[in-house]
Amino acid sequence: MAQLFADTRDDLYRYLLTLGVHPPKAQESVQEVFLRLYTTLKKGEKIENVRGWLFRVAHNVGLKVRARQSTEEGIAPELEIRLTSPALNPEKDLLERERMLRFHGAVEGLSEQQKRCIFLRLEGLKYPEIASALGISASAVGEFLRRAMARLKKVRDE
Amino acid sequence: MNSFFNRHAGEALLVRYLDGELSLRHARTVAGHLESCSACRQEFESLQNAAADCARYRQNVLAAMPAPPAEWRDLYKDFARIDQSLAHEPLLVRLAQPLVHAGAPRWAMATVMAMLVVVGVFFYQLRQAPSVQAATLLKRAIAVAETKTHSAHRIRVRTAKLDFTRVIGPQAPLSAAAPSLEPLFTEAHFDWNDPLSARSFEQWRSQQVHVTDDVSTLAEGYRIRTSSPEGEIAEASITFERSDLTPVEERIEFRDSEWVEFTEIAESTTEGGSIAAAPKVVVPVRPAELPSRSGALAPEPSASISTELQVLSALHEVEADLGDPIVVSLTNGKVLVTGRAGLMPARRQKIQTALAGMPLVVMQFESMQPAVIQPEAALTPVGGMATPRPVIQTRVEKQLGGRAEFDRFSTQILNSSDEAMKQVYALHTLAQEFPANTERQLSPADRQVLSSLSRDHAAVLSEKVSTLESLLLPTLSSLGGAPALVHTAPQAEWQSAAGDVFKSSARVDKLVSIMLGMTPSDGSTSSLPTDLLSALKDLRSNLDTCQHLIAR
Repeated sequence: MAQLFADTRDDLYRYLLTLGVHPPKAQESVQEVFLRLYTTLKKGEKIENVRGWLFRVAHNVGLKVRARQSTEEGIAPELEIRLTSPALNPEKDLLERERMLRFHGAVEGLSEQQKRCIFLRLEGLKYPEIASALGISASAVGEFLRRAMARLKKVRDE
Repeated sequence: MNSFFNRHAGEALLVRYLDGELSLRHARTVAGHLESCSACRQEFESLQNAAADCARYRQNVLAAMPAPPAEWRDLYKDFARIDQSLAHEPLLVRLAQPLVHAGAPRWAMATVMAMLVVVGVFFYQLRQAPSVQAATLLKRAIAVAETKTHSAHRIRVRTAKLDFTRVIGPQAPLSAAAPSLEPLFTEAHFDWNDPLSARSFEQWRSQQVHVTDDVSTLAEGYRIRTSSPEGEIAEASITFERSDLTPVEERIEFRDSEWVEFTEIAESTTEGGSIAAAPKVVVPVRPAELPSRSGALAPEPSASISTELQVLSALHEVEADLGDPIVVSLTNGKVLVTGRAGLMPARRQKIQTALAGMPLVVMQFESMQPAVIQPEAALTPVGGMATPRPVIQTRVEKQLGGRAEFDRFSTQILNSSDEAMKQVYALHTLAQEFPANTERQLSPADRQVLSSLSRDHAAVLSEKVSTLESLLLPTLSSLGGAPALVHTAPQAEWQSAAGDVFKSSARVDKLVSIMLGMTPSDGSTSSLPTDLLSALKDLRSNLDTCQHLIAR
């Protein structure tokens, strides 16, 4: 469990941040998720895919927490974009930066489900795991990802 | 748009292919199609670029995210609370009860619970016995220590009665005030000169006949606890820092219930004067035993073929030497580990963890970029989808009793042949990286590592070939195939035998994919049953030779 906690907590924490949960709340939620895992297992329930389970519960806890928190507490999307650029060389990568900003905009413009699928995919979850986290079918995950990628590809190639 | 991919279906398939979500058979088909169709290839490259942008987008977003605001809580306290609040005890706990029986503290229960969970969930991680984990960790820690300069450092020594500071290292000041601990250690065959080191720990551990190891990952690092039923020391545990595997803590428990604890004292002050001034008692110490390889003491240590072997061994432990798009090479005194595009983030993380703390290793990971066709696809060029069904496929299908049987048969065959090829590649890579004359220059320990790696791959390969044989022999024989005489060239080294294995298995793989209609044949397929049977027999014979030579 210690190993699992150490391996997964940062991924879960960051996932919650991308959901728009405020950092202290996100950290609290991650710990809460692990306590739920412990309780669930102690009750003798079987969990087939623990990573998928953790993300699913984190996702649900995150949505509840986000609903409760006042809007100004969340991370403003501009912050992400502002922080995107300074690391890049302003002269040389001007075009690149603009392209990336446009891409950020495109990702923001995806549906919530599509965005979640992409984020979870980037966390290394396979389709069935994403499906279990979001409570949808694996083929729906495939379809969300197809739509998202088609759109992002288009924005990129424009 | 071409005939194979209508727009949506094609896109969906390519996205799934990109995400590694297709079955092996489908993936091969797609890879083959991509080779022959430039429109789809362009489409795929464009998807890959979008995926790479997604990965960069995520990095950007994550980089902008604040770190956790507080320390992570010690969850075990909460687990104990949960234990108390759960009114009745479920089955799992009752099962765990006898293990932590009578007077065991509450946290021990939590630990057992956690272990049960971990065993249930991550059983694949535990396929490595703790003793293997311990040996690997120690080996790695020794390797790290060898690359460091041996400057003096201080350790705190505590026993039930004593508490003093000791200086370890070549510049250690001499003093006569040695406490009575040295004889204890000498008798126990534990190096007193540098007790808080991976080398001394491993030296002691390797002398024990029956040891029980336990490896745990703590927030601050890794701990190995080794107990032994014989000898003066009943149990020893050592803790290594997570980042660079520096030993920070060690506890030796003697059989007569005497115990000694060593703690590394962080070097915040300058050396020399302050070191001599700080300790209450200074013990004379000889310089710590120097590593045997002269290269390790050079001012700028450089990676050797032995380091490369360690890297391959570490990759083998996480099964990353089988088909993952990874290249290991020895360049400019460093072992360069390159993860090619297409390596999944989770795999990458696993590899990074496996190689963390290894000195002289440089890792680089390409982001998803221009189309890289999987190696297996490159080896077995898959033809265009319009190829008419070859006669042989129809014959096999008829022999098996229908299309459904044929589909099941071909999935089984392709899976086993793919599994076999993974092992063949791994074995072939080892043979090429460590040719016979290089092998002879390795230390005995390194030779043993190499031999166990190649033995592993050959053994698994042998299993896979058996599966292939049992699947193919009946069908091929009933199609009139009869294996030709095997003409293997005699080999003196396992490396050249591995080369033969590589060639014959590539032939098997090619014939298999012709038979299953995944590769167009370059001629008539009437002799295929005989050709494939002969190729299989050839492979078996080469593999036998190779295994025999490895075991020698």
